[in-house]
Amino acid sequence: MASQSTAPGILMTTLEKGVNWARTQSMWPASFGLACCAIEMMGTGAAHNDLARFGMEIFRASPRQADLMIVAGRVSQKMAPVLRQVYDQMVEPKWVLSMGACASTGGMFNNYALVQGVDQVVPVDMYVPGCPPGPQSLMHGILTLQQMIMDGKIQNSTGVL
Amino acid sequence: MSWLSDLLGPLKGFLVPLRQIRKGPVTRKYPQVKRVKPQRFHGRHTLNRYPNGMEKCIGCELCAGVCPANCIYVRGKDNPPDNPVSPGERWGFVYEINMLRCIFCAMCVEACPTQAITMTHLFEMSVTNRDDAIYTRTELLVDRDGTPNYPPHEDSPLTNLEELRKGDGWMRATSPSGRREYEGIVAWTPSARTGELPAERGQSSGTPQVSEDADG
Amino acid sequence: MRSMPPSKEGRQPLSDTKNAPEMVNITINGIQHEAVAGERVIIAAEKAGEYIPRFCHHPKLDPVGKCRQCLVEVEGPRGKQLLPSCAIYVTDGMVIDTQSDVVKKAQKGVLEYLLINHPLDCPVCDKAGECPLQDQTMTHGPGESRFVEAKRKFKKPIPVSDLVLLDRERCILCDRCVRVADQIAGDPLITFNERGNQTQILTFPNEPFASYFSGNTVQVCPVGALTSTDYRFRARPWDLEITPTVSLRDTVHSNAEINTSRGRVIRVYGATNDHVNDGWLSDKDRFSFGAINSDERVTTPLRKTGTGFEEITWADAIDTVSARLGAMIGTEVGSIGGANNTNEEAYALSKFMRTVIGSPHVDAQLGDGFEPQLAAAVIPRAKIDDIDAATTILVWGPDLKERLPVLYLRVRKAVRNGANLVVVAPTRTGLDAIATHVIRYRAGSGQDVIRKLANADKSMTAILETLAEGPVVTLFGRTSIAEDPRLAESVAAYGRTLDGAKLMPLLQRANVFGALDMGLAPNLLPGRISTTDTDASSHIEETWGPLPDALGRDTAAMLSGAVSGDIRALILVGADPVRDFPDPQAAEKALEEAEFVVAIDAFVTDSSRHADIILPAALWSEVEGTVTNLEGRVQVVGAALPPKGQARSVIGMLNDIATSMGAELTSFDVSVVSKEIATVAPAYQGITRDGIVFTSSGAGIVVPSQEAEIIVEMAPRYASMAPDAVPTEASGSAVIVPAQGTQPLGYIPTDQAVPMVTDRYTLHYAPAMYDDGVITRHAPSIADLVRDPTVGLNPRDASILAVANGSIVVVDGSVELPVRIDEAVPEGSVVLPFNHAATKGLQAVPAVTVEPIRDES
Repeated sequence: MASQSTAPGILMTTLEKGVNWARTQSMWPASFGLACCAIEMMGTGAAHNDLARFGMEIFRASPRQADLMIVAGRVSQKMAPVLRQVYDQMVEPKWVLSMGACASTGGMFNNYALVQGVDQVVPVDMYVPGCPPGPQSLMHGILTLQQMIMDGKIQNSTGVL
Repeated sequence: MSWLSDLLGPLKGFLVPLRQIRKGPVTRKYPQVKRVKPQRFHGRHTLNRYPNGMEKCIGCELCAGVCPANCIYVRGKDNPPDNPVSPGERWGFVYEINMLRCIFCAMCVEACPTQAITMTHLFEMSVTNRDDAIYTRTELLVDRDGTPNYPPHEDSPLTNLEELRKGDGWMRATSPSGRREYEGIVAWTPSARTGELPAERGQSSGTPQVSEDADG
Repeated sequence: MRSMPPSKEGRQPLSDTKNAPEMVNITINGIQHEAVAGERVIIAAEKAGEYIPRFCHHPKLDPVGKCRQCLVEVEGPRGKQLLPSCAIYVTDGMVIDTQSDVVKKAQKGVLEYLLINHPLDCPVCDKAGECPLQDQTMTHGPGESRFVEAKRKFKKPIPVSDLVLLDRERCILCDRCVRVADQIAGDPLITFNERGNQTQILTFPNEPFASYFSGNTVQVCPVGALTSTDYRFRARPWDLEITPTVSLRDTVHSNAEINTSRGRVIRVYGATNDHVNDGWLSDKDRFSFGAINSDERVTTPLRKTGTGFEEITWADAIDTVSARLGAMIGTEVGSIGGANNTNEEAYALSKFMRTVIGSPHVDAQLGDGFEPQLAAAVIPRAKIDDIDAATTILVWGPDLKERLPVLYLRVRKAVRNGANLVVVAPTRTGLDAIATHVIRYRAGSGQDVIRKLANADKSMTAILETLAEGPVVTLFGRTSIAEDPRLAESVAAYGRTLDGAKLMPLLQRANVFGALDMGLAPNLLPGRISTTDTDASSHIEETWGPLPDALGRDTAAMLSGAVSGDIRALILVGADPVRDFPDPQAAEKALEEAEFVVAIDAFVTDSSRHADIILPAALWSEVEGTVTNLEGRVQVVGAALPPKGQARSVIGMLNDIATSMGAELTSFDVSVVSKEIATVAPAYQGITRDGIVFTSSGAGIVVPSQEAEIIVEMAPRYASMAPDAVPTEASGSAVIVPAQGTQPLGYIPTDQAVPMVTDRYTLHYAPAMYDDGVITRHAPSIADLVRDPTVGLNPRDASILAVANGSIVVVDGSVELPVRIDEAVPEGSVVLPFNHAATKGLQAVPAVTVEPIRDES
């Protein structure tokens, strides 16, 4: 339900911070590795970079247990409906991170086979440039996203509380 | 004694983590410590200047022509004769790179006849909006002292604007492990790869000459 | 300075000889080939598949052998010799080697030599990417230069004209621009200066390179020495998308290609169609594309409000137009214009008016042309190629150089090749300099000249001798809008009587011939059928349904009908009658009086300003379709861009209006409409857009002349006049009674001996290439080239009026302009610029008063 109050009270502000903190610190990604970016994504999860430091313990195979979809790689026209289905199956609140040039814009594959930007299929919260982005670039995206959630309101992907 | 070894056998496996504890963690503590990038790392582009402050870019569009991802948009213009922006007749008055399309292949760097465009070690470019990923001249062009300019999205939580404005903040952030010797060094930092590229082995330097009648 | 034309004896052998070519055998690199005798070796080798590098050679220009790049070995009596293949001609048994080591060494040496002083600033050079020097250095040149010394330096760039910039450092002295300006355009304004190392191309001091064809020098320049101001640094060749098309700035329809980059037209280049334009373009063809990108384009439908215009949606606009037009009787609606559109659009308009609206009132001409049936179906019609073949050319119409510049080049080429030229015009024209005979007469007294010619008057003996040398091609048209339109009929009738006669009608507005062929004239139906021809029109009725019975009105009658209330609604299709109709004030009044005016236009013009609804139209380069030029050649225009904003093609909007009115018009697909034309219009049988694209190899298809000739006869009112009643040429002193529309010209002869003391002057509107038209005004690069308006007066008249050059006079009591004293203006005439804002206040009065302003103080 859309918030009716205009000025947030002290109680709500504190609760909001608490909820946001909880959300940022336990954001589990759904594995959506589609191409070479997925290798970097795996590397980001492994010991040298260790995504677990940010509460992203594990890439979930089931979308129902995931909050963040990292679209890592080029999305073909055939994969687009699958991508959308996985997104729809994720529970609210959920976020999408578009990793690398192909997922974000199609990159150098400006052709009929690829979706020219995954934001044509799902709403994207964070774009990470790179081809592929290194683990630290990806982590920069994730941390920026976490910061965004921390500063934001308690709401789901459609902007409803 | 086989029964003893059978008993201890499963426990032997626990020695592995014990041994590893001694070696300490391999994890790089990213936001605090940045990885040393390889020397020829392909990071964000910059547009360079000559030491006299003139822009190196002449708006020739060769970078745009060679770009396999078509992510560069350049338009040239007549240099104002009284206050030229770059040596020669032409300067690039529009220079835009869509970082989201860019595949960081550095073909633009290869194609550039004046070494105007080079790639830095800057890699933190995540954006929440596609429009922010289009870097224009303002963002790409290095300052007169050689410091790369800040990206368009100032609200990035990892961008400490205070540090950035000190000039060498970005240098230090991307210098090898934030080494102390880069403290305070702002001009022509090799780690950021602004300025001229050192020649690769077996090549002549290829340093472009600043023409003497640069005002023409 | 070179003089033109060259003496006929000294003419160079040209590759395009009139007779069937004689073939000879030659050997190129050990292989036998056939070649046309007298052909340049470089061309023969190219036909045989051996490309010889070249810079100065151009197939349309005389050979000079300047660059020495095309050296080949030719066997001669003293062994093999290195010769420039562009300057030698094939002979029987010639043995040529283009690949030997000696040849390669020579070519490499020449290239290295050319590059000595050529600045290697390819990254900033506009030519880089399409540069013959670059390309041939790659294919035929040395890898490296041994030259280490300083290169020659010049100040650069120098603006040699408003449109062309010169970079002398890049110049390789190939002489191409000099030859184009001199041989082709006839404006020898650019040439070599200095000697030796300092040799450079330059204009003459204080004389800019003000040629109407200066853009061609930019196109032929093999390096980036000549660049155009409006393309300079705008784009690089490799990101240009090329769309083949034809230029619609005049009725010649020069072939061109539109170069676009990132959704904008960046430049227009000439394309070669030897039947039409030889690859040349006028500067207006080339540089007027700026109007397409103009910010002043109408990009949404507009509705008139009390104070101006408001933007409305297309749905709203279509509803309003269909509701208002649907509420009227068909014959209360008239359509003016359609000459700037493609054949398909003109066809859709013609069908829309005649079937959906039910009105016969359509006219593509704004009273500034002549009889539509004559223009559309004159017999025997000349092709442009016939000009080359003619022995004598008679030009009696608008100034070709100003109005149909590329046709001027063709006439010039013919004269250069030895044809005679007779020019008849009321004042100086661009062709006078090369004409064999020039007849100059007072504007409005043209029929006297005709009568004299027809009756073999003694004063015309020399001219008649020239005209007796056939075949004669007569180019006839209306010399100015102040002239009686029936004069063109008389000229055509006279031209028909000449030996081997061929006739070419001259109208200048874009696709007016296509529009007439599509039936956009009150007395024509699609396919050059007269409305009175019941057999042929019943064929059209099979597809179209019943045609309106009423007689159609032409533009003049429609405009007067709008004032009297007979015509309630006017549809302006790319027409600006307030500027182009001979009586601008009448046009403006009609548009104000009309109950409902729809303008389909790309700009808010003086006319569309009065419209209740403006529908934004797509311009040239945004619509595809076919067009028909002045010889009846149907060619294809291409769409390089989507229409700007919400602008649409006329077919689309008329279809929507028809649907909204409950009728069905045509397809939205140009190819389908083109096929419909091919079935409906008899003359266009089998001529479809797709057919032209796939079968005509770019040359277009000439509409065959119909069997049912429209025979032009000398109009009886001229024939009945006494043959030697009135003197002609400059000495005439007649007072012309104003003529309206197609009314017969009243003619009052007066005594020749009486000097010119009347206070009325006959008016001649001199056309100019850069007139103050809507396209010129909105094209930034040529907008400044519009000449300041002046009143041309004969020195004698000027002395009678006691005015000097630059004095301000009042013409017709309303227009104040400075005087230009010009001997080429016949006595008793005034020459005013055509289509200029300054002359808008004038009415269609062929005779005007001219009064000097006296300084009262």
